[in-house]
Amino acid sequence: MSTATAARSDASTGMKGLGGKYLTFTLGDEDYGVGILKVREIIGMMEITAVPHTPPYVKGVINLRGRVIPVIELRIKFGLEPREYDERTCIIVVEVQGASETVQVGMIVDSVSEVLAIPDEDIEPPPAFGASGLDSANILGMGKVKGRVKILLDVDRVVSREELQQFASM
Amino acid sequence: MAAQENAIQAELEQMALKIVLVEPGDLATVGELLEHLERLLTSPEIGSRSRLRSMGAVLWQVLDQIILATLDDSAENYAHLGEAIGVMQEAARQEDDADDRQVAAFCEVLRKTGFAVPDAEVAAGTVPLPKNVGADEATDAQEEESAAAGEGEAASSASEPSSAAPPEGETDATQAPGAAAASPASDNAEEEEEPIVQDPQEFMQDMDLLSGFVEEAMEHLETIEVNVLELENSPGDPEIINNIFRPFHTIKGVSGFLNLKAINKLAHATENLLDDVRNGVRAMDSDVIDVVLSVGDYLKAMIDNLREVIAQGPEAYKNFDIREYTRRIKAIREGKPSESSPAAPAPAPAPADTAASAPPAAPAAAAAPAPSAAPAPGKPAAPAPPASARASVSGKKVDASIKVNIEKLDALVNAVGELVIMQSLVQENPHIQAIVDPKLTRDFSQLARITSELQKTAMSMRMVPIRQTFQKMIRLVRDLSKKSGKIVNLVMEGEDTEIDRNMVDSIYDPLVHMIRNSVDHGVQPPEERQKLGKPPAGTVALRAYQKGGNMVIEIEDDGNGLNTEKIRQKAIERGLIQPDDNLSEHELNNLIFLPGFSTADKITDVSGRGVGMDVVKKAVEKLRGKVEVYSEPGKGSLFVIKLPLTLAIIDGIVVRVGSERYIIQTIAIKESLKPTREQYQTVCERGEAILLRDHLVPIIRLYQTFDIEPSYTDPCEAILVVVEHEGQQRALMVDELLGKQEVVIKSLGGLLTEIPGVAGGTILGDGRVGLILDLAGLFAAGGSRAGSGAGDQVEAESEMF
Repeated sequence: MSTATAARSDASTGMKGLGGKYLTFTLGDEDYGVGILKVREIIGMMEITAVPHTPPYVKGVINLRGRVIPVIELRIKFGLEPREYDERTCIIVVEVQGASETVQVGMIVDSVSEVLAIPDEDIEPPPAFGASGLDSANILGMGKVKGRVKILLDVDRVVSREELQQFASM
Repeated sequence: MAAQENAIQAELEQMALKIVLVEPGDLATVGELLEHLERLLTSPEIGSRSRLRSMGAVLWQVLDQIILATLDDSAENYAHLGEAIGVMQEAARQEDDADDRQVAAFCEVLRKTGFAVPDAEVAAGTVPLPKNVGADEATDAQEEESAAAGEGEAASSASEPSSAAPPEGETDATQAPGAAAASPASDNAEEEEEPIVQDPQEFMQDMDLLSGFVEEAMEHLETIEVNVLELENSPGDPEIINNIFRPFHTIKGVSGFLNLKAINKLAHATENLLDDVRNGVRAMDSDVIDVVLSVGDYLKAMIDNLREVIAQGPEAYKNFDIREYTRRIKAIREGKPSESSPAAPAPAPAPADTAASAPPAAPAAAAAPAPSAAPAPGKPAAPAPPASARASVSGKKVDASIKVNIEKLDALVNAVGELVIMQSLVQENPHIQAIVDPKLTRDFSQLARITSELQKTAMSMRMVPIRQTFQKMIRLVRDLSKKSGKIVNLVMEGEDTEIDRNMVDSIYDPLVHMIRNSVDHGVQPPEERQKLGKPPAGTVALRAYQKGGNMVIEIEDDGNGLNTEKIRQKAIERGLIQPDDNLSEHELNNLIFLPGFSTADKITDVSGRGVGMDVVKKAVEKLRGKVEVYSEPGKGSLFVIKLPLTLAIIDGIVVRVGSERYIIQTIAIKESLKPTREQYQTVCERGEAILLRDHLVPIIRLYQTFDIEPSYTDPCEAILVVVEHEGQQRALMVDELLGKQEVVIKSLGGLLTEIPGVAGGTILGDGRVGLILDLAGLFAAGGSRAGSGAGDQVEAESEMF
């Protein structure tokens, strides 16, 4: 119980204020969501240039209309089995807070589902999985929609600069 | 004539418009008013209308005093000025000069501002022109006698305090009468020995104005310095003297308005000194130049302090003691007038008419005690002929320009770069190429032309002439040669060569360093030069030109040249080469760019110890450039810096490793080769290298560093690209060379910075991203990966080439 409260106060705005529109997507059998205001665009898979000395989940960089942006593979990031890309594989381009400015990052997901409005009262704090080793820091909360659970991601944490930087300096 | 009459009317109309808009505190607009007025007063047709001209001159004085804050900068006063301009407009519309009624109305309305209007002179049309107005028009010559006649009364009627001054050769006697009255404070200022202590609150009322002043003043000071130095080359050029005078005048005016007492006083004193020069009372000799330069430096320090005050609050304020400078100026003004006889205007042919048109100068010179023993060394030795001065004025037509945020400009350049790539992508698309349609072909070539034109324009927008950077060197050479007791002429060529704006700042330090080096170690002292049969004055040439997509900067001196033997000994001493190494003279000379190399025999404070040319090389390489030295013993040395024209685009070789492509900047590449078995060497089975003309060059297997699957793992099947960075060479092992390409450098997005071995990315011709290799990172990583013991050894050996 105490962990749940801690997580509740951890989320800066509390579970209240998390309600809103989410872009939902799938990774394997699980449904995820990211706040729609974070999403810049959704593009199909494209050729990715690998960048050395980066964590394995960083697939490389792509050319987004003349801008070079990094792309991460969410499956690897979350410890899921990698799988072949297919025609449903997408890159969701999100905007996150960098060191001094916002930067764009692509996230490879299995498929994009829909945009859902999830009200405050349908969002629960992330459960504590305890010993399973799953880090719930990336999770804003759990949205319940029509009997299904959507895992709402905190993208600023998912692609934290510190983590990448640490790796680069290793 | 009718058209010219309209010119007067047009200027007045502009002024009427401006005066309505002007608000208290808006000095910029007042400045614009003065500009219009100046144009009006210098227009040829005004000569026949002495009353109108006098009105203008009075108006000038009033505006001047508003700027100096002697008259109120209030809405009422501007209303009065508006009425006065109305009267002038009325007068300008009629055939004849202003009539009595208009003169009376004009004087009456202006008197309301609190200014002592000299009615009689306006009526007589004898108010002298303000001294700042370019008064050397032919028509003025006719007027100048009457103006001079009226001047005495003008001075006494308008300025009581300064009438006491002339006996001492006091500052304000040379001012226009109005301005003299405007600054009674500065009259006794030179008597008082108290330093000016001021509470910053006194000028911190309007921070916007203050920071505006700081910005502008800095620009003005730059202008001053550049012009002062230019003056050394063409002494007595009245246009240049004016260019120095004006910024001081502006600084004085605005600082007075902002209540910055010390700056105001110092600028004022300097302005007075320069005014003497303008009026031909004294020559612009080295004393004056020195003091103006040092005042400029001091003002910079004061204004820098203001900047701190703006940033950190009033506690940061320092009270600067300007007495030393004002005293020095005073001493120069009193001690060494170039002319002791009252016939001041006569001796200086070029500025003669300027002097005559500012009559108060004459009595001042006459009154000055003037020990004629001082014959003023650099007295108008070569006064520029007025004709050429004129020509240069009209030749300097300023292009209209706007300030653009640099980020916007960068974004534009980036976008255009992409456009060019996209255009070729589309054009090379096989589906499109399959279309056989002459119109499409035509349209494509038209599109290609437009995009490349657009790219050229966008690139050129970021380019600035290197002139400013070069001009800073004039001062440097001057100071250095003074300090070292050498005579050095700086010759500059190609100052108009354009360079990427982003590079300007970075190239400054290396240039300073090399110029220092040339003056300090290159050019010999005069006696030694004469012994060698050279002219006593050394020459340092600074050249810039474009060559084959590169910007080339050359620094040449006619001094000692490099002592190749000494370099050799030192290099052996430092373990940089082996005694039996067989190096060409050129190779030996270029050893000076290796870290920690210095051949200076004596240590001077000019180029201190240990700061070698390696600093230069590093800075130049950071700009993706190259530096080399050519030297002929006894004749001099030539340093050549080659830089890319822009930082945004590099010339690169695209290489393939496995399925990845990387770009190596062309300038770093020495050669590429397929090594033979004999050339391949391993060190302790860990480090590996190839033997290249007796030098061991360590190999970096890119596929290992970047952890990718290569086509070849045997160095003798793959291709080795030998690259050089900071004097070290490495052979990069790649699968294939794909070709040469100009690429636009991009960051890898904010999250992926500082990736070892990767400098950035770029969009390749097929739209994919290619990574640009960072040699410094690769070299460092390559060293650590080669295993500790062997790695160090290879490292050490590699420095021996």
